[in-house]
Amino acid sequence: MIDMPDTATGEVVSDEITLRYDYSLGEVAGKFMQGLREKKILATRCSKSGLTYLPPRAYCERSFEPCDGWVEAGTGGVIECSSIVVRGYEGKRKAPMAIAFVRLDGIDTAIANYVDGVDLADFDEAMRRIAPGNRVRVEFIASPEGRITDFSFVLES
Amino acid sequence: MSQQVYAIGVGLHPATRKETRFRLEELVFRTARQALESAQISRRQLDNLVIGACDELDGRPISSMLMAAPAGGYLRDEIKVTDSGATALCLAYARIRSGEFQAAMVSSWCKSSKTDADAVFRLRGDPFFMRPLGMDNVTADALFAQAVAAELGITDAEVATRIERRSRQATANPRGLQAPVRTAGEIAKSPYRATPLREGHVPELSDGAVSIVLCSQAFLDANPQVKPLARITGVGWSSDSYRLDATRLRSMKSARAAWAMAMNQAGITEASALDVIELEAPTGWHEAAYVRAFGIEDDAAVSPSGGQYAQNPLFCSGMVNAAEAILQVAGQAGAVQVPAARRSAAHSCNGYAQQGNVVAIFEAVEAGI
Amino acid sequence: MSQAVAVLGTYQSEFRTQDPHHTFVEQAQIAAAGAYRDAGMTPEDVDAVVISLAPTFFMGVADADRWALDHIFGAGKPVFRVHTGGATGGSAVHAANTLVRSGLARSVLIVGAERIAETPDAQKVLNIIFDAFYERDLPLSTNTMVALRATTYMQRFGYDQEDLARVVVRARRNAMNNPYAHLKGEVTIADVLSSRMIAWPLKLFDICPRSSGSAAMIVGNMEMAKRFATRPAFVNGAGARTDTYWLGDRMGPFAESDIIEYQLIAEAARACFAQGGITDPLKQIQVAEIYDPYSINSAFTLEQAGFCSRGMALRLEREGYWDCDGGAVAVNPSGGTLCTNPIAISGLVRCIDAANQIMGKAGAMQIAGVRNALATASGGSAQFYTCTLFGADPYHA
Repeated sequence: MIDMPDTATGEVVSDEITLRYDYSLGEVAGKFMQGLREKKILATRCSKSGLTYLPPRAYCERSFEPCDGWVEAGTGGVIECSSIVVRGYEGKRKAPMAIAFVRLDGIDTAIANYVDGVDLADFDEAMRRIAPGNRVRVEFIASPEGRITDFSFVLES
Repeated sequence: MSQQVYAIGVGLHPATRKETRFRLEELVFRTARQALESAQISRRQLDNLVIGACDELDGRPISSMLMAAPAGGYLRDEIKVTDSGATALCLAYARIRSGEFQAAMVSSWCKSSKTDADAVFRLRGDPFFMRPLGMDNVTADALFAQAVAAELGITDAEVATRIERRSRQATANPRGLQAPVRTAGEIAKSPYRATPLREGHVPELSDGAVSIVLCSQAFLDANPQVKPLARITGVGWSSDSYRLDATRLRSMKSARAAWAMAMNQAGITEASALDVIELEAPTGWHEAAYVRAFGIEDDAAVSPSGGQYAQNPLFCSGMVNAAEAILQVAGQAGAVQVPAARRSAAHSCNGYAQQGNVVAIFEAVEAGI
Repeated sequence: MSQAVAVLGTYQSEFRTQDPHHTFVEQAQIAAAGAYRDAGMTPEDVDAVVISLAPTFFMGVADADRWALDHIFGAGKPVFRVHTGGATGGSAVHAANTLVRSGLARSVLIVGAERIAETPDAQKVLNIIFDAFYERDLPLSTNTMVALRATTYMQRFGYDQEDLARVVVRARRNAMNNPYAHLKGEVTIADVLSSRMIAWPLKLFDICPRSSGSAAMIVGNMEMAKRFATRPAFVNGAGARTDTYWLGDRMGPFAESDIIEYQLIAEAARACFAQGGITDPLKQIQVAEIYDPYSINSAFTLEQAGFCSRGMALRLEREGYWDCDGGAVAVNPSGGTLCTNPIAISGLVRCIDAANQIMGKAGAMQIAGVRNALATASGGSAQFYTCTLFGADPYHA
């Protein structure tokens, strides 16, 4: 018999894992990101189902056909759902921050982004201002670089 | 009485080393569409989807979130297995056979070029005993090669000859990469990666996607326009110990178990009853070991597609084999068609030193069924 | 005619944030051995194994199921791993059910383990499940995803945070009868309301814990049931549906399957109930073990699965409809996922808790006279849903 003390609880072997990926944007997301650089929000359309999609899709899940057209989304839209994220995440904006899914004018599906320009000191009051059904408009940053954070939503006054 | 299971459609993404035109969703959508067109049915006629996909290779913690709909699963009963594409085929077969489902899409993919596959294999090492040694697929396969060389009498020269033959066949495969032939001489002189495994023993990886549509007899009866490509008469799968000791490496227990399970269901005992056997061989040593373990004597039956030398999308290579085996008994394999192929098998392996193995058996369908 | 499928044995460990005493493979082994012991079986009695394992990014070993092969007595057997995110455990039971019904296996072990607290970066993992181009730059996570939907649901049906809090109070109280539960105890509505805000309207107590532990179940055909079980539960229904990933496609006037009320559940439940002969769930089902990682979730399932009408579940909660004592159906006598969430096996634990109710093995959680029990699981961006129906008798349509 080998006489060994019990393992100290909590002893660990530490490791840090980094995996790198290069996600190919492909043609559809590539065109959307190019649109952002020109301060345009581009959606795809499926002529078979008649639906327009944001984020843009290569194909329509309802008809299972390729999307065959592009349309430019309106700059205003309606909030479908919203929240104030109070506990933040590393690498994102500093919490608290308001986010919402918004259906932009002329588009059938909703896309998520930050809602800016809302005083978040009082959550209940802020939630009333960004409640579902309220309208927002798109605002771009000065120098868009082809990322989703090139734009955000602000309340229509 | 179990249901008969048929393969009615196949979609194969054109072999490519690095697919940059399409993001993964688009690649899989196109392949699934191709399979539906080949089956001459619409997506709405499917009642379920079985996905074979690996999060780690896809670089996504739950890869089916974005992939289920492109693969044909929108508002359908969908399930995912992570062992290999061929494993998904087995589960889809069981689903139809149970009588609970009538028409299944099976989808698998692997953009090998997008991620560091070796790093993923190293991550499969347990953090205490394997990972600190840098255990990966190359090292594990080298250990396997050494073990089967001793156990089964496989030589470096035989391995080189086999690879030349397979890479030559692959150049004829219209669905292959059209890579230059590797000659036995070059292979035998190529440097070691981990003894006894040489650079030339390992096929290059490629990007790919494959979809297969399965259905029941009842579905065929209800859709007379659908012409089955093949009947699936047996599937088998098995996984072996994680350990890499000599017993595990030499016994090839899971390969033999998967083979026996599939052959039993198909009601055949000898490999000679099969006209085509598409083997998944991550190294030339694997092929030499499998032909012995499975009792395959006729080399003309072995991997007429060229196997991994035609294309090698790591995770779904075995399911590509299944597609090739189906096309063979359907008489649609093109330039690599084996004349009058009536019965075929597809094999797949996965994990360190082929820890897991899968086998599926296909038969030609007589006109009029 | 497919075979009847019976539950022959179950096991679950106690759940807590971390299990520093065991490795992943040891946890899985404890569960496998526990289920074998419970069924009076040995590994030789089982033909195949299904491993229930969700993302491995939490524990940091890729495809860790392969590592566990020896420990679960699986080497040489047909084994595969099922992974459908949070729905994994439900899908794993469905896969085992399929293997028995197809005749490919006479009996199947379903086993899994979770050690989600192995990494301090779990929320990062839960962010990178989102689309790399359109959504990862936003603070999306499972928490915020549910918060967004809850906002609209509450507005649509006139609920406030107190209505959510009431669910938490019931769950934690029920969990006091569950020796395996992670969180339990008497909490008040005020306690819930004063817990830390995470993403409006969800506070800390509205959200499940991260739990570590393991679980296993053995299912088999009628012949195995006769050999090994005196009072088995039968798997009488297995319905699953998958929706689009895109949340924004499921809201507004053009949505086919509304995400706010999680209409996908209705389809999964319909498929499940049709197999098991359930036409009036409120009358025929006595226990529902619902996958409810958030206080809002059980309401979706109760409404969509037909236990009550749209928008009513939280009103009926006020009346005690979902209580174990005197309720119309006992919802989560175990405390549910709100009290214990080992992601990889949560759906399996729901199935175990439901099946144990049928088998009369639920201990202090036992509800009297259970003939039918429902277990559910949910995964992805609220896009994978499984319903599993357990009955005291095999159902043949």
